[in-house]
Amino acid sequence: MTTAVHQAGQTMEPREFKSDLKPIWCPGCGDFGVLQALYRALSAVGRPPHEIAFVSGIGCSSRIPGYTTAYGFNSVHGRALPIAQGIKIANPDLLVLVAGGDGDGFSIGGGHLPHAVRRNLDLTYVVMDNQIYGLTKGQLSPTSHRGLQTVTSGYGSLEEPVNPLLYTLAYGAGFVAQGTPADMPGLTSVIEEAIRFPGFAFVNVQSPCVTFGEAEWQLKAHKAQMKSLAGLGHDPADRLKAMALAAQYGEELYTGVFYRNPNPAPTYDALVVERQAELRDQALPRERILDLFRKDGGR
Amino acid sequence: MANRKARPTLSPEICKGCGRCIDACAHHCIAAGTHVNPATGLVPVTLDLERCSACGLCLEACPEPYGLLPEGDEAAAEPTGQKRPPAVEDQPDTRVALPALRPLVVKGTYASAIGALLAGCRHFFGYPITPSTEGAELMAKLLPELDGHFVQAVSEVAAINMMYGCGGAGLRSLTFTSSPGFSLMLEGLSYMVGAEVPAVVVNVMRGGPGLGNIGPEQSDVKLACRGLGHGNTHAIVLAPATTQEMLDLTMLAFDLAFRYRNPVVVLADGYLGQMTGKVTLPDELVRPGLPGWAVHGDREHRPNLVSSIQLSEADLEAHNLRLIAKYERMARSEQRAELYEAADADVLLLACNTPARLAKGAVRALREAGVRAGLFRPVTLWPFPIDALRPLLRPGLRVVTVEASHGQIEDELRLALSHAGIAPPPLAHVRRYGGVLPKEEEIVSRVLGGPERGVA
Repeated sequence: MTTAVHQAGQTMEPREFKSDLKPIWCPGCGDFGVLQALYRALSAVGRPPHEIAFVSGIGCSSRIPGYTTAYGFNSVHGRALPIAQGIKIANPDLLVLVAGGDGDGFSIGGGHLPHAVRRNLDLTYVVMDNQIYGLTKGQLSPTSHRGLQTVTSGYGSLEEPVNPLLYTLAYGAGFVAQGTPADMPGLTSVIEEAIRFPGFAFVNVQSPCVTFGEAEWQLKAHKAQMKSLAGLGHDPADRLKAMALAAQYGEELYTGVFYRNPNPAPTYDALVVERQAELRDQALPRERILDLFRKDGGR
Repeated sequence: MANRKARPTLSPEICKGCGRCIDACAHHCIAAGTHVNPATGLVPVTLDLERCSACGLCLEACPEPYGLLPEGDEAAAEPTGQKRPPAVEDQPDTRVALPALRPLVVKGTYASAIGALLAGCRHFFGYPITPSTEGAELMAKLLPELDGHFVQAVSEVAAINMMYGCGGAGLRSLTFTSSPGFSLMLEGLSYMVGAEVPAVVVNVMRGGPGLGNIGPEQSDVKLACRGLGHGNTHAIVLAPATTQEMLDLTMLAFDLAFRYRNPVVVLADGYLGQMTGKVTLPDELVRPGLPGWAVHGDREHRPNLVSSIQLSEADLEAHNLRLIAKYERMARSEQRAELYEAADADVLLLACNTPARLAKGAVRALREAGVRAGLFRPVTLWPFPIDALRPLLRPGLRVVTVEASHGQIEDELRLALSHAGIAPPPLAHVRRYGGVLPKEEEIVSRVLGGPERGVA
């Protein structure tokens, strides 16, 4: 990195990523764990805060950039990914993190996700998936299971939830993982791996809502039910197996890396630089670039 | 009919120009069209039957039941209504008397939802956004019990387009939203104005711009009155000031939406949405009929078309002229205002929504202090109730606009005066922003010559 002030070998402490702002999440919110895991993962990656941009949408979980010392952008509901892409394209040397909730990412922002994946900028997208709209006080979310009773589905939801893991795999993401604050070392490690992955990396975090979420689906239940993919002997290079496992979203709580492309595709940022270099050789001299629009082509 | 051997005749108002018949014809009698059909905006095929062998293959290929008809059938079809049924009559609304009921004590969004239900609305599409969500929640609770439909859409963009679809079928649909969500709905509203599809949007305005906050503001007046998406759009904008009006004006909104085939915006503010008040129920509820223009998905309504596309410039200009004439009818007939102590006023406060309540308090305080103050409260912000204001504008009158926005309501006043050719009286204002409302004492002090509140 040409802009790095940070010296190689210099270490960053997790507390150096912690801002002075005190989180206003409800006591017991899963997002506290995600924040801690982020501090640790960023410490392990070692990039200093001024080289990191942290973008979020709107929702409880989207407050997270404010609790870090990185550049933060608590942006527009559902538009975190387009904004993050703009930031990364404008400043490719930045480490760009994107975070938000399931409503932000899969409902109002759901249309942006496939295109962020296939454009394959080097972004890390962490979704805190709690299957509910917490900030607006407990409405149905796109990951709410069929039958869930909420204030907008008093008689039970009639809709199937989206499957964020299977969708992102199908969209072609090179890195797809899941974690839960019930397993802090595991969560820290998947976030760190996602940041290190060259290309679009997606981490779905099962982060329970303590106020509006289901009482029986909180961290204690996660702890009892989570299954480590590594422990099951899953090979993260096997995309089809990853999809079969991801298809059990909502039934099984798998943690760890579902899929990591062993031969990551070139990122959009890298391809742009490559193309610019190619075209530079063939281009007209800069002072003659307007000749393209002259009748004789400038000859 | 398609298996009979017959030469085809074309129904240009039904043919969509898909070209299946072109491929089916062995004698190249059918060609892709080059002219837009003004009634449909589509390009029907053209027939040249000199070499036609009446094989009937084109009739089989046509996916439209009445796109290509066997020769001779089109005349037979006409009287039975198969090809071009006669224009469908409106099925009128009916009103059913309600027994006298005890008043309710409910919050504003609930009152509005109840008003919609009493107006016969059984379709709700929305997306959660504070401070409007409780209205949606009540609809979610009540609609399933009333054979209705509640959908929590994936976004405001989806919600307004669901309303476009539902309204196109001639049904009554409602949404609750708040300022950022209203911004997202503007594209859909432009299409609905263009296609003349009715719907009611209740916007519980909150602080802006951007994400802002969830306090009350009136800063969507400009959007609702002047900026409903692209194109020459207008919609009637109703501004309630009480919980009772949240119900009454939502009911009225459906009536107006269907009378003019146009969306109607109910502009409330964060306080009105959340505030609890006493609400008296009306004497009757509405059982909606079905407008004749509806694309209702049945045989009778088959020839109807709901569309906002007009590819020919002349057609689109004619369509605009028709819409503009409609806006003028609205402007003539639908102005509404409330006057309080206005007849002899030397100082007229102009305010709507919750600030109108504070202005009313200020009028009382000013009267006690010996100032002849009055309140002019537009109930319709568009059209602006200039006809009610005009007789009050005698020489010496001062107008003080009280609003929670940067002059958006004063701008409506100035435009209305200008369009009416009236020289504006001396104007002053009390403005607050960001979820703060003008205080009563602030209004009083301004009227008594106090300074305008500025940036410290």
